[in-house]
Amino acid sequence: MDSSTYNLNIAAKFGENVKTELINGNEIHMFANTGDIIELCRFVHSDLGCRLLSVICNDERQITGMFVLRYVFGKENGEDVFFVATSNIDGKDNCFPTLTQYIPSASLYEREIKDMFGLIPKGSPDQRPLLLHSWPEGNYPLRKDFDIKTKVPKSKEEYPFLKVAGDGICEIPVGPVHAGIIEPGHFRFSTLGENIINLETRLFYTHKGVEKLAEQMPMEDVVLLSERIAGDESVANSTALCQAIEKIAKAKIPKKAAQTRTICAEMERIYNHLGTLAGLSTDAGFAFGAARLNILKEKMMNLNEKTSGSRLLFGVNRVGGVKIDLTDVHKKMITSETDYLENEFYKVFEFLRKKSSFIDRLKNTGTITKEDAVGFGIVGVAARCVGIDVDTRKDHPYANYSSLHLDKHHDTPYHKMKYEVELQKRNGDALSRFMLRAEEIQNSIMLIRQTLRDLENTQSIWCDVGHLEPYLHALGYSESHRGQTMHWVMVGKNNSIYRYKIRTASFCNWKIIEQAVLNDIVADFPLVNKSLDLSYSGNDL
Amino acid sequence: MTNSDKDSIMDDKVVTVQNPIDMTDVSSGYRGKIVIAQDKVSEITFENLDNACPTHSFGFDKKSQKLSVDHGKCITCDKCSVLSPTLIKIKSNFASASKHRTGLVESFDVGTITKSYDEIGKELKEKIHNLYGRSLAIREVDAGSCNGCEVEITALNNPIYDIARFGIHFVASPRHADLLLVTGPASRNMEVALKRTYDATPNPKLVVAVGACACSGGIFGDTYATTGGIDKIVPVDVYIPGCPPRPQALIYGLLLAIDKKLDRKV
Repeated sequence: MDSSTYNLNIAAKFGENVKTELINGNEIHMFANTGDIIELCRFVHSDLGCRLLSVICNDERQITGMFVLRYVFGKENGEDVFFVATSNIDGKDNCFPTLTQYIPSASLYEREIKDMFGLIPKGSPDQRPLLLHSWPEGNYPLRKDFDIKTKVPKSKEEYPFLKVAGDGICEIPVGPVHAGIIEPGHFRFSTLGENIINLETRLFYTHKGVEKLAEQMPMEDVVLLSERIAGDESVANSTALCQAIEKIAKAKIPKKAAQTRTICAEMERIYNHLGTLAGLSTDAGFAFGAARLNILKEKMMNLNEKTSGSRLLFGVNRVGGVKIDLTDVHKKMITSETDYLENEFYKVFEFLRKKSSFIDRLKNTGTITKEDAVGFGIVGVAARCVGIDVDTRKDHPYANYSSLHLDKHHDTPYHKMKYEVELQKRNGDALSRFMLRAEEIQNSIMLIRQTLRDLENTQSIWCDVGHLEPYLHALGYSESHRGQTMHWVMVGKNNSIYRYKIRTASFCNWKIIEQAVLNDIVADFPLVNKSLDLSYSGNDL
Repeated sequence: MTNSDKDSIMDDKVVTVQNPIDMTDVSSGYRGKIVIAQDKVSEITFENLDNACPTHSFGFDKKSQKLSVDHGKCITCDKCSVLSPTLIKIKSNFASASKHRTGLVESFDVGTITKSYDEIGKELKEKIHNLYGRSLAIREVDAGSCNGCEVEITALNNPIYDIARFGIHFVASPRHADLLLVTGPASRNMEVALKRTYDATPNPKLVVAVGACACSGGIFGDTYATTGGIDKIVPVDVYIPGCPPRPQALIYGLLLAIDKKLDRKV
C-alpha cells in the first residue's frame, strides 16, 4: 500500500476529524484532537498492524501555545512507512488520555512525560515517578521555562515497590551499586526458596539530562553528545541523529559517507556481540571461553582505534556525512582483521557449542514468551529470539543497507519458508540469544566485506546541510547491536536543536527482564541480564 | 599485541603484554590528548577556541598571556585542531593521570611522560606488596557514566592487559575494597549511593576518578541531573583524564594512586 491508500483508509474511518500529511518521504503525520487520539492510535496499531515505536512530548508553547504529543508507529516487513499520530494537549488541566490500557508499552513513555513535562496521563494504572528520583513536584526539566542549571533539592521519597507477601517469601534488594564492573540500577527480587517469583527493576540512576542538554548545544556538539548516550552504541546513536537532521535539510550525503557509516556500525555490532558472548561465558562460570572471546574483542577494539582514532568508534559521524576517510590502507587492514576474526570466532564458537556444561546453563534459562515480547514492544535480538522478525536495517533501510545483502534468509522462497519455520522454533531462552548473536557476528563480517568491495573512491565524505528552517522535524533511526534506536529531532532557530527525543532499544527492552527471570533461580540472574544485553545509560539518558 | 601475529587464539601462547603502559602499539591516528603546539595564541583568539570546545577545556592567563588546556574536561573530539591546526595538535599518547585536579591543566610544551615505564608493572607490584600486602582490591562504581569507561575498565581484566598479575583485583563489595574506581559525572540520582559506597569502604581508602566526566562533568557538565564531577561528592586522590581513558592510562592512574598513598605514609 502506498501513502495515498492509507490516507483513504484513515479518511474512511475518521472523516474530517483527522488530517493527514506525508513528510520526509516515509512519515505519515495524522492530526487529531484529544478526543480522537486514542481511537486513532488503536486504529493504527490494530487495524494497520503497526508497532508503537515512541511517544514524543514537546513543549511548543512558544510556537503554538500548546504541548504537543506525537505517537510514532512503524510498519515492518516490506513497507518502509511510519505513522505519527499528533494531538495538542489542553493547556488548562495539563492532562492527556492514557493509551496504556490498549498498548501496554505506552506506560513507560507516559510516566516519562509525567516526570519531564508535568502532564498527567489520565487513567494510567502506573503513575509512579520514573526518571527523577526524590524529585519535588513542580519542577519539569523538559519544559522550556526550566533552566538546565537549576539545582532542585531532594525530597523525601519512598518508592512503592510491589510487595509480595506469604510464607517463606524473601525479598532481596540489589543495587544500584552492583558487584561487577557494570552500570547502576536497582533490582528488587521476591523469592520463594531459590526461585524468583517477582522482579521489579528501578532504573534511571545514570540520568544525565541528555535531551535537555542537547537543546543548549550547537548542532555539531549534539553529535558528540549523541555518541555518549551509551558509549558502546556511539555509531548507532550518532547515525540516527545525523540522519534525522539530514532529512530535515533534504541533504543527500555522499555515497562513501553512507558506506562508512555502515562499516562502522557493523564493526560496533561485532565488538559488542563479542563482549556479550564473553560475558555469557563468564556468567556461566566458564572462564576459558570468556578469555578467548575477550582476545577477539580486544583485537576488534584495536581495529576501531586504527579506523576511527577511538577504541569505541567515537568521532565517526558528523552532520552531513562522516569525519573519517577510509583509504586503501584501512580497506586492507579491515579486510585482513575481519578474515582473521571469522576464522578464529568460528573455532571458539564451535568449541563452546559442544561444551554441554556451558550449553546446559543457557538452555531454558531466561525464557521470554512471544506474547510478552509483543506486549512490551521489544526490539532487536530479544525480539528476534522469539521469532519476531524485526530489524531496522531490513524494515526501514538507512545508510546504504538497501543495497546490501543482509542475510541469506530472504534470498529465495525456499529460504524464506525455511526461515519462517526456524522463527517458529525459537523459544526465547538465553541459548537462542547466544546463537543469534553468533550468527549476527558472521553476518556483520559479510556486510563489511560487501561494503568494502563497493567502497567509493572519492574525496567527498560530507556535505554542508546549510541553514535549516526552524521547527521542521524528522525521525532518525538505526539498528544498534541492542535493537532499534529511534530518535526525533525538531530544529530551532539558527540551526539549534529545539527538541531531541531519544529512544534507544534498551528503553523498550528493560521491562522484559522482569518476565524473563520468573521461576529461574537468583544465581541465573546475571546470565539472563547479560544475554539480553541492556544498556543502563542508553535507557536513563 | 602485534596484529601481524596470525596464530590462532586457541593455541597455547602468551598474549599478555609485557609492559602495560608501553604505547608503541598505539596507532598514530589515536586521539589520545590535545596539546598546544605554540606558545602564543596566534591566528585565533582564545574566545573563538573556547567557544568551539564543547566542554570549554581552554583557559587563558591574561598576565602571562598563556593558553592552557584542561585534560580533565577534554573529550578528545577534534574540533579545536580542525579550527586551528597549527596551534592545536592531537597526539596519540594519553594524557597522564594526576594527583591533583590542577595537575590536569597543561600549557605549552609540557612533556607528556617524563618517566621511563620499563617494568612499570613490577614497580606497581612491589608498591602494592609494600602497602597492601600483595594485593589491591578495587570496587568499581559507576556514578552515571555512558558505559564507555566501563568497557575500558573491563578490558583491564582481559588476557591482553591481565591486571590480576600485578595483584590487582576487582571485588564485589566496597567493604572488601582498598580503592574506589569511580566513573561518570556523578548523576544526581547516584549521589546518595556513591556517598554510601564511600562510607562503607574501610580506611585507608583511595578514590580514583576515571574519565573526563568524573574529573569535571565532561560533556554532561553541571546540570539539574549531574553534579559536575566526583570530587563534588567524595574526596578524590587521583584524576585519570580521557574520554574514555584507554587501559594503559588506567594502569598508570592506579600506579599514581598507590604512589600517593606511599607519599602520605612517609
